[in-house]
Amino acid sequence: MKKGFIFIVFLALVGIASAQEAGTLPQGMRGKVINLPDISALGNITGRLSDDKSDSGRNELGINEVETAFQGYIYPEMRADIILAIHKHDGDYESEICEAKASFNKLAEGLSGEMGKIHLDFGRINKLHTHHLPMVDKPAVLTNFFGDHELAGQGGTLKYLLPFTPFYTQVQAGAWTMAPHEHGVTADYPEDVLTITGSTVSVPSLVHEDADFSPAGKVYTARINSSFALADRTELEIGASGLKGRGAHYEEHMDNVEVTGVDLTLRLWPSSYKKFTFQNEWIHLKREVPVGTLHRDGFYSFLNYRPDKYWDFGARFDYAEGAWPTISYGRSLSAIVTRHLTETSYWRLQYKHRNLDGENVNEGWLQVSFGIGPHSHELE
Amino acid sequence: MKKIILAGAALALWAGAARAEIKVVTASSDLKYLCERVGGAEVKVESLASGDQDLHMVEPRPSMVYKLKKADLAVRVGLDLDMWVDSLINAARNPRLFYGKEGYVDASAKVPLLEQPEGKVDASMGDIHIYGNPHYWLDPANSKIMAGNILAGLKRAVPEKAAAFDANYASFVRELDEKLAGWQARMAKHKGLKVITYHSSWPYFAARFGLFVAGHVEPKPGIPPSASHLDGLVKKMKAENIKVILTESYYPRKGPDFLAGKTGAAVVIAAVSAGGAKTVKTYFDVFDRVIEDLEKAAGNK
Repeated sequence: MKKGFIFIVFLALVGIASAQEAGTLPQGMRGKVINLPDISALGNITGRLSDDKSDSGRNELGINEVETAFQGYIYPEMRADIILAIHKHDGDYESEICEAKASFNKLAEGLSGEMGKIHLDFGRINKLHTHHLPMVDKPAVLTNFFGDHELAGQGGTLKYLLPFTPFYTQVQAGAWTMAPHEHGVTADYPEDVLTITGSTVSVPSLVHEDADFSPAGKVYTARINSSFALADRTELEIGASGLKGRGAHYEEHMDNVEVTGVDLTLRLWPSSYKKFTFQNEWIHLKREVPVGTLHRDGFYSFLNYRPDKYWDFGARFDYAEGAWPTISYGRSLSAIVTRHLTETSYWRLQYKHRNLDGENVNEGWLQVSFGIGPHSHELE
Repeated sequence: MKKIILAGAALALWAGAARAEIKVVTASSDLKYLCERVGGAEVKVESLASGDQDLHMVEPRPSMVYKLKKADLAVRVGLDLDMWVDSLINAARNPRLFYGKEGYVDASAKVPLLEQPEGKVDASMGDIHIYGNPHYWLDPANSKIMAGNILAGLKRAVPEKAAAFDANYASFVRELDEKLAGWQARMAKHKGLKVITYHSSWPYFAARFGLFVAGHVEPKPGIPPSASHLDGLVKKMKAENIKVILTESYYPRKGPDFLAGKTGAAVVIAAVSAGGAKTVKTYFDVFDRVIEDLEKAAGNK
């Protein structure tokens, strides 16, 4: 018994000694309290002004989204990220699993994988959570082709860093099941259900479908992206993404969908804090419907200057055609100012002038985004 | 056939030569210098951050992933100063570099830490470091521990070169001891010198050389100075006759220059890492230069 106790104490001491030798724990393993994941909460308060009198959501200020995250390691080189969100949707708060994934960092040399519900790695912006965006609203091409929310799927993806290229190149492919954007129980979407007596009763629907167009059903994705260090502090990143699936309302439209995109980002760091970003993304949507094939295009160009560690000044031009059978043409120009408080907290002002089929609308936002607790995302 | 054999032999020789060199990627340029000193001709070292960068604010980029993908050893500053290294190591998927593996070196291990917070820690304290102040390399004596951690990592990577690494380490420590004695002798006459620093980066340096940090330009770590805070500092500097403001080269000059203009204090702009200025090429140069500038600032007053 005594020997056993001494052995356990020895093991514990050895364990402590090795931990000290290894130094600080990486993200997801931090915290002095043992066995707790990184827990964080993020809030997004948004106020919006618009001169479009038909817009029911204009001239309002309030909490737009709350995100909670539980992140940590579940096995050596294997981590889990559970991100739950409550966000405003058509004026009501609704809950959803934003992302819940297990990441396998070392399947083989250069190969990793993710499983679960995941924001799809399509282009530069889709996988970003709201608080990571360098702008209040997403570019119109993304909302027109993917819906108001990030395009997320249930499934898995494999990512591989090519070993033979003399620069960074990653290829990835994923297979997903995607429902139209779903939320929790809401009384606003009643459903008639048959009772045991044979009568019908109206109950809140478990889910409702967004009216937005987005890919859905069995969806397959692929992406390749490379990066070139043009100089010590200049990096050019290019990528191409593809997606194949069906439309969110396939029963109604019988549409098979293919989306392709290319992106190009140039980043320069003239000094420790100064930074220029020039980011561009073009996306093409092909919808095969029984009466023919529809082609839609859209792109955005985003230019940002960070003069110091606290401020960002950006401008964005959007062009996007509508995804529905009737084509629409939207163009907009935005000016964005961000003041960073901490790594996860900032306030932002954005002005946007948009023209949709000849009709002009001016919009303005005030956004306050804040974070509490350790919060991390994979390299973006 | 002959050509094929010759080409194969050349390829084998090239591959053999490539294997002989240990590829090390460090988070900072100081760690690069230490790796080169301990590893000598056996290592090829690249730093992710340059010497004039604020290590809190380095933006991870894909070209850094590419460097880590090929590395045998990754050496980080640790203590949540370089948290950006975590995402890079995960993205590189290099099995040698994951936490606890043979190629993972945290230079901060076993360094005696200052300013370790106790109790609840939150953002009301600014960008606080939960494990303690991470600017430990600014006490040159800590470089023995840092180099020792690197030595252990290199020995794990190439045990057959252990004797060469040990000799390099001993040579580094001898030079450090000589230089440290010289720096301490020079700073002895300025013991108790009160300074204002921009950020809380200098407690290790101050403890080693007997300076007294009387305040910071930042009201709290990472928070820009307000007019009222600067006004309070002006009053404090006048009341306590504080004549030196010490700031890193990458911080804005506006706050220090304002204080200097109001109080007549000298501003010492220090490169805090190797390569941080034209005249600061090595880790030792960091101390040569800042001590020289502090001597001038203190001597002139």
